[in-house]
Amino acid sequence: MRCGCGLAAIPGTDARFFVPDTSFIRLRRPVDPTRVQFGSLKIKARINEARKEVSFYELLGIPETGTLPEIKQAYKQLARKYHPDVSPPDRVEEYTQRFIRVQEAYETLSDPRRRASYDRDLALGIHLAFSARRRYQYDEELEERSEWKNRWQSQLSELKRRSMNRDARGNMSWGARMRRQRDESSREQ
Amino acid sequence: MAEPAYTVASDGETTGEEKSSSSFPEIAIGVDIGTSQCSVAVWNGSQVELLKNTRNQKLMRSYVTFKDEIPSGGVSNQLSHEHELFSGAAIFNMKRLVGRVDTDPVVHASKNLPFLVQTLDIGVRPFIAALVNNVWRSTTPEEVLAIFLVELRVMAEVQLKRPIRNVVLSIPVSFSRFQLTRIQRACAMAGLHVLRLMPEPTAVALLYAQQQQQMIHDNMGSGSEKIALIFNMGAGYCDLAVTATAGGVAQIKALAGSATGGEDLLQNMMRHLLPDSENLFLGHGINEIKLMGLLRVATQDAIHKLSSQDNVQIDVDLGNGSRICKVVNREEFEEVNRNIFEKCESLIIQCLHDAKVEVDDLTDVIVVGGCSYIPKIRDLVKHVCKIEVYKGMNPLEAAVCGAALEGAVASGISDPFGSLDLLTIQATPLGIGIRANGNRFVPIIPRNTTMPARKELIFTTVNDNQTEVLIVVYEGETEKAEENHLLGYFKIMGIPPVPKGVPEINVCMDIDASNVLRVLAGVILPGSQQPAVPVMEVRMPTVDDGHGWCAEALHRSYGSTLDLVTVQKKI
Repeated sequence: MRCGCGLAAIPGTDARFFVPDTSFIRLRRPVDPTRVQFGSLKIKARINEARKEVSFYELLGIPETGTLPEIKQAYKQLARKYHPDVSPPDRVEEYTQRFIRVQEAYETLSDPRRRASYDRDLALGIHLAFSARRRYQYDEELEERSEWKNRWQSQLSELKRRSMNRDARGNMSWGARMRRQRDESSREQ
Repeated sequence: MAEPAYTVASDGETTGEEKSSSSFPEIAIGVDIGTSQCSVAVWNGSQVELLKNTRNQKLMRSYVTFKDEIPSGGVSNQLSHEHELFSGAAIFNMKRLVGRVDTDPVVHASKNLPFLVQTLDIGVRPFIAALVNNVWRSTTPEEVLAIFLVELRVMAEVQLKRPIRNVVLSIPVSFSRFQLTRIQRACAMAGLHVLRLMPEPTAVALLYAQQQQQMIHDNMGSGSEKIALIFNMGAGYCDLAVTATAGGVAQIKALAGSATGGEDLLQNMMRHLLPDSENLFLGHGINEIKLMGLLRVATQDAIHKLSSQDNVQIDVDLGNGSRICKVVNREEFEEVNRNIFEKCESLIIQCLHDAKVEVDDLTDVIVVGGCSYIPKIRDLVKHVCKIEVYKGMNPLEAAVCGAALEGAVASGISDPFGSLDLLTIQATPLGIGIRANGNRFVPIIPRNTTMPARKELIFTTVNDNQTEVLIVVYEGETEKAEENHLLGYFKIMGIPPVPKGVPEINVCMDIDASNVLRVLAGVILPGSQQPAVPVMEVRMPTVDDGHGWCAEALHRSYGSTLDLVTVQKKI
């Protein structure tokens, strides 16, 4: 399962309208790491897969040490390339998806708090790219209004990271493993 | 007469999407239909040029007079006297009325215009009529705008010697998507295809981006990012944007807007000069209309003069035995309109805050629109932003020039000198979301989100065995759902009967580069990866007229039986 699905261009779609496939629903799975329903093997597979995905830095074509002016400049250059207003007429849909990814990379990396949290995840190989963060978008908007929530959020993501790590190492209780296996086998049938 | 005769199609039909499939890059013209004035501009191959009418005017009055059978607008028509505009036969200020229901305060404030604006206060469209030979002839804001657009189109076609099909129109920031459909309807009635609807300050932002590029070319400017606040106040609306400009790209960081404009300044002054004017005009008799017109002309004139002088003598005979003879000074004018100026100030502060920009970050502050000539407006902008106002723009032509630039860029025209290597990255002026958590508005695409955009949020049911959910889509900022603009609604049916909170209802919103909004909604049950029922894809808005009425009816009929709640973040 590719975690960037829904953002990739779907071949053969009308230039104006996205075919109402259910890709946006499938995005749900990796979205919420607090409710990981994958077995440890799958997690590992996902992490390996994530390594193959481009990071926000790669997407913007800047080093991980890139400064804010560099990020801004890279974003504007890519916008000039991918924004649907300036993209070739027959590739509007594809470029729109790309632009949305670039936008997400820019929004994450140009905000010091979000960049720090992204860098942490990246270092751990948990690449919750694009859509993965989408679910929290609204919550994030709310958080920006209150500082205490920010701190709470960073603590939370730290907890999540730890629990995810534990899961990845297979360090789960017997009951949890059993529940997961059952969930998984019922889904695969 | 060689020019083709265009007619306005009936307003009763739905907007026909007859898109021309030709790939010939036809340059879209830029049109600014202001509340009081309008203009057309086009990229002429090397620069933006404003088109003039047969009377050599670049800026034309926005009105339509209904004389005899054929209505005529301010583009072609020559008024014999200013007072002709106030005979009851002329309809104007349509930009303030288009797409509004009769419970809207802006509609109520329009009731003392010198034509008929009637309200029933139940959330339906207001009744608007012009007095023709002692008969109130009904019309609609869309029809008036369309008549106007046809005249502008003919004017442009004659001058450019080619058919005009595509337009980029500048619109107020505060327009709801429903209002945008009314503008599109007016364009369709005039045989025009809307390429883009551009919030006015974003058009100005594009012009600014071009000017900055030009300065780099001329080795006068640096290539670093410039942050500018754009304050655009005309007769009908006050619109703001914060833009970050570099390399010809205008990135809109935040938008703010309100239906506050010169018309409000005028009405406050009229009330100040003739305190019981509103009651006086209620009857809408021929004499009252004339009186209203006389007072309007005199007041308008006085306000204009107060921009350049400290006080003004008003002397107007209202014809009914009463006469207003008064000296008004600038302080008095500013005091009478204090609430308007305070509103402007709060919009600036809000816009800077939303853009996460400090006053010290601003490189430029641009003040445009008819109200930019008012000293108090310039002062208050300067006071908040603590820098001098940018001088490189004609305040009345900036928006239309920006729209023409966008017209050229979005039509795929390129310029050998790189003058069109420009881009505007737009942001959503209002939040879009659905009704959930009781009667709350839950935004899915928040305000000031970069477009194109695609965002989603997960909801669930509130009742056990709830097989249907009602998705009611709103646009706005208010927490109470029905205080926002209703865009449409649909039901998801056939959800398997399970306990409340179990189904995951994924609502996804998608805005493409042409600002088309689609809402996708699907249901997933735990343990399944496939949606339980077919996914709904709905293009918004779906509501037609009378949307205020409609939201209330939905609420009354269904209560909370088909409700949704957001899924809480589980820790």
